Amino acid sequence: MARTTFDVEVLTPEGSVFSDTVEMVSTRTETGSIGILAHHQPLLGLLAPTELRLYRGENDYARFAQGEGYVQVAEGRVLLLVEEAHTPDDLDVAELREKLSKAESALSGAEAGTAEFDRAARDKRRWEAFLAVAEGTATH
Amino acid sequence: MSASQADVKDRITSVRNIRKITRAMEMVAAARLRRAEQRIEALRPYARAVRVMTRAAAHAASSAEISQNPLLQIHPEEERVALLLVTGDRGLAGAFNSQIIRSGLKAAAELREQGKEVSFYAVGRRGVSTLTFRKQEPLGAYTGFTDRPAYANAREVAEDLITAYADGKVDRVELIYNSYVSALTQEVRRETLLPVQEATIWAAAGAQEDTSFAEADQAEATAHALVEYEPSPEGILQRLIPDYVEISVFRALLESTASEHGARMTAMRNASENAGELIEDLTLEMNRARQAEITQEIMEVVAGAEGLS
Repeated sequence: MARTTFDVEVLTPEGSVFSDTVEMVSTRTETGSIGILAHHQPLLGLLAPTELRLYRGENDYARFAQGEGYVQVAEGRVLLLVEEAHTPDDLDVAELREKLSKAESALSGAEAGTAEFDRAARDKRRWEAFLAVAEGTATH
Repeated sequence: MSASQADVKDRITSVRNIRKITRAMEMVAAARLRRAEQRIEALRPYARAVRVMTRAAAHAASSAEISQNPLLQIHPEEERVALLLVTGDRGLAGAFNSQIIRSGLKAAAELREQGKEVSFYAVGRRGVSTLTFRKQEPLGAYTGFTDRPAYANAREVAEDLITAYADGKVDRVELIYNSYVSALTQEVRRETLLPVQEATIWAAAGAQEDTSFAEADQAEATAHALVEYEPSPEGILQRLIPDYVEISVFRALLESTASEHGARMTAMRNASENAGELIEDLTLEMNRARQAEITQEIMEVVAGAEGLS
């Protein structure tokens, strides 16, 4: 059965990557996975890296590797502000693996509690999520 | 003594070839400038949306908790200052690179006079190599992307500076870059990147000159509606603060790229014009040389004829 649709825009610092009418948005905030349907209550949330899915229909969805960002639901519209959003085709597995191992070594060399440590942890989390999208192993 | 015809002809050919190259470079720079301008435009809606969100979160947040953010803390003893110089990877762009390096070194000299310790961070091969040559080895060197900087590049630069600041390795960070005014004009700008002025965050939250009424209304509406925050308005603002730094760096990178292409376009146009003038002068010289040769030959023929009669 077709669901009620609503407008979604995905904005990055490099421009808009998605602007369409969808039935559901499936993503992850810092507090956990979230599915947004039409008439969702106003929300302001922090997004965590994950696979972003924008469902136009039951099995028809656009996929993006989503970096950190913000989600805003207001006036029946959903706005996703993300620092990076790539289609799976744009991701380079070898490059991501390299970045991930760099982040891992930075993490093991950093002292817990420092900003350097937090940064390496965030980098690691981002590249792991992107890698899962690139390899199609992201859980949803 | 003027050069022979053949010599001048060779010089004309080589100047013509140079002009072909400078014209091609001018055209490439013009095309890249347009793209760079579009990328500055593309950042605007994102930056605006981040501002609206900041305002919405700030209405609901407690300011006391936000003030604890390490990036807002002014270090009481300002001993170490980091300068981030934004240059390009390539030269042949007029004063584009040299004016950044010059003001960077001047700023460093002034700061050192005040007894501060100065460290450099540099974007662009030109800046990195000049600083290294001058024995001012940059702590952070970022190259290979100045033609088309991605947000990820800005994040890398910004996070190096943010972590250095938050971990107390540096007490202030300044940014020096070519801000883009127009294709013909680029201005060296020096801004304080860290600490983030708390006023910037609250100013974004309050009224601002470049804020449209619609934008303010939207923030107002968001703030008054029953909004669910995940995790909390304070938590959201804590992440918005470093994002302001990243966006500032990204904007500087984009403006610098547009400035570089603009400067190169102007420099190459001037070079092409100079080549044109040189070709005119040389053509005149060649014609004179040819005329002189003809006159010489006629004189010889006349002299020969006279000798016979």
